[in-house]
Amino acid sequence: MRTLSPPRPTTVAAAAPVAPRRHRRRGRSTAAVWILVSPYAVFLTVFGLAPAGYALWTSFVHDGSFSGLRNWAAVFDDYRLGEAAGNVTAYLLLWLPVLLLTVLSLAFTLHARPGRAAGALQLVYYLPGAVTGSAAALLWLFMVSPDSSPFGPLLRLLDVRTATDALSGGSLIAVLAVMGVAVHAGGWIVVLYGALTALPKDVLEAAQVDGASAWRTMWHVKLPMVRTYVAFVLISSFASGSQVFVEPTVLSTGAPGQISPTWSVNQLAYVYATQDGDFGKAAALSLAMLAVGLLAAWIVITRTRMYATDTTKAG
Amino acid sequence: MKSWRAASLAAAAALVVSGCGGTGGGSGNSGDGKGELLVWVDNTRTPAAQQYKKAHPDLKIRIVTIPPEAGYVPTKVSLANRAKSGWPDVVFLTNPAEAATLASEKFGYAAPLDELVPKSVRDGFAPGSLDTCTFGGRTYCLRNDIAPTVLWYDATLMKKYGYQVPKTWADYERTGLKAAKEHPGTIVGAINGKYGAGTYFGSSGCPTRDTLSLTEVDIDLTRKTCTRVADLLQPMARAKAVTTVVPTDPAFAKLGQDDRILMLPGPAWFGDFMFGPAFKIPEGRIAAAPMPTWPGETTSYAGQVGGGAFLVSAHAGDRTEAAADLVRRLTTDVALQAKQPTYPAFTAAAERWGEAKAKDPYYASDPMPALSAAANALRPGFGAVRYEADWQTSFNDTVGRAADSGGNLRKALASWQDKLDAAAETSEYTVG
Repeated sequence: MRTLSPPRPTTVAAAAPVAPRRHRRRGRSTAAVWILVSPYAVFLTVFGLAPAGYALWTSFVHDGSFSGLRNWAAVFDDYRLGEAAGNVTAYLLLWLPVLLLTVLSLAFTLHARPGRAAGALQLVYYLPGAVTGSAAALLWLFMVSPDSSPFGPLLRLLDVRTATDALSGGSLIAVLAVMGVAVHAGGWIVVLYGALTALPKDVLEAAQVDGASAWRTMWHVKLPMVRTYVAFVLISSFASGSQVFVEPTVLSTGAPGQISPTWSVNQLAYVYATQDGDFGKAAALSLAMLAVGLLAAWIVITRTRMYATDTTKAG
Repeated sequence: MKSWRAASLAAAAALVVSGCGGTGGGSGNSGDGKGELLVWVDNTRTPAAQQYKKAHPDLKIRIVTIPPEAGYVPTKVSLANRAKSGWPDVVFLTNPAEAATLASEKFGYAAPLDELVPKSVRDGFAPGSLDTCTFGGRTYCLRNDIAPTVLWYDATLMKKYGYQVPKTWADYERTGLKAAKEHPGTIVGAINGKYGAGTYFGSSGCPTRDTLSLTEVDIDLTRKTCTRVADLLQPMARAKAVTTVVPTDPAFAKLGQDDRILMLPGPAWFGDFMFGPAFKIPEGRIAAAPMPTWPGETTSYAGQVGGGAFLVSAHAGDRTEAAADLVRRLTTDVALQAKQPTYPAFTAAAERWGEAKAKDPYYASDPMPALSAAANALRPGFGAVRYEADWQTSFNDTVGRAADSGGNLRKALASWQDKLDAAAETSEYTVG
């Protein structure tokens, strides 16, 4: 079967910067673009570019004077960075595939069985992300304690006998990955489901007329048509996963002293600023992490055609 | 959606980096004169601070309740340092190890109290309790409460099993191994994080955090004071007589409910806050004995797991005297201290505090003799360090893991040493 090229679903075109169309009434159109873009541009400058610029300056300052690459060298020389990077890599290797599979399977299931339940379920998938702070810490501590958890038998099967077991070594990574999936999957399911509902009905009907089963329709028709979105989910999740901070921080408030405060790279940057009082190193490491995020963004923009518009596509 | 969350996180991180978040969370400003004394205390200490405020109507005092989380105060002070304003004049630390961070040259927050609090007052604190606050001969904080370790035990179970309360560590080991054999599942100790490292290694005098000054620390795990602990715990870990489960784990509480906790060397506050409320051990069973002794020693030295301390800001300016007076009152006022939940650091207050404790029907026998003996025999060399968090997690990663997997604890000590060295050097200590 021929693979269909991805159309441009209009419903969830995200907050993509609109490329100005070459138009006759160019002046008016440009003004409209600026008006639409300006709130974002202001926020980007005030909360994005300016702090990043200030961080860049801070990363070259030590004890009030310019110190060249000293902070950068100190960061990359810190033994904790290697440990944190190892933890984050292991987390990504576990979390990303599980997240993607969960999001895909649930979104496709919702789409294959539309109806009132689908709407309600979207909300249900979204809920775990709404529990935050100390409530989340307690909830997850409860979930990973075999004696109180509804998943107790499963935990025991995995040789996790206590919460202490669950929060140490390799099991900690698994616990964080499960937390990460529960918190993040809901939002992406909504996005992907939106993309699926925007697919042209005639194509799906044609597949049905041709006698394609639900499985084949999903695999050969729907998936190719939403693959830009899947790539978007994957790459954006990579960017946010590499910056994992909330999950280990929240979990450690429920189990003080059990999880290293520098477990992830972003946590290390936070510790530099708040516990070591070293804003130079914090800025250097934050910028290094920003570079990882920018790389992911660059891939999204150049490789997935996520932000392609009708005109740029045609041209 | 995802990207919004990422954007808001990025914005928050940017704020942290740019130091604009200093006045967030209603923490308020100070350092701008006007004579208002800004006091940061946790929820538990708030009533005492309010009482002080009521007793001093002439003083303008603003009390702010802060969360008890580790790292909160250094975070706020770090931001205030960046903004060059917003420091509290007095702050309470639920984690006294943070004194090492706040007194460091980089933070420059804690004011030395040697001139502000007379020596006669400082001498009234439990001997050695101010070591936590002392760096290079100068005292940077006053202890509010201390957490000396004692040997907690279940008197009913001991009687039922026909065991004697051990006086030496050798006795303790023998009893532990016997209990694990005769009554499988029974434990006599916990070796996890600060509970393991502070109770066993701290009481033995093993130098894992022996601060010589703000920038020098002695770490030497090859000493006998360390190896004897490893040797003590080795057979007990194999026999599962000691557990690596952290006492705050629900699974540990289950041990209590199942009558599996025979003995538990641990801090003074375990008595009121763990055995009853968490482990659900009924009234009239728990008692305290002094920590066992090591060969060649007659004193029952205590380790430390917790406690609190008050600091005065170096930025308090003309409010310094008032700040020091408040700290002195809150830590040494016998009537105030007698009402606080945990063991007072000031000896006279501890005696009054103990009068109520002695009559507490929860205990099988008066725990005060053991508690006050422990408070008077804190093992020297247990200092406040900037690598406190790593000290705990590295213990679990080395000694804890070896104990769990039947590994060699002496070998684990070598790995712990490496991790402690690295952590200390990263925290700008010279390891001696």
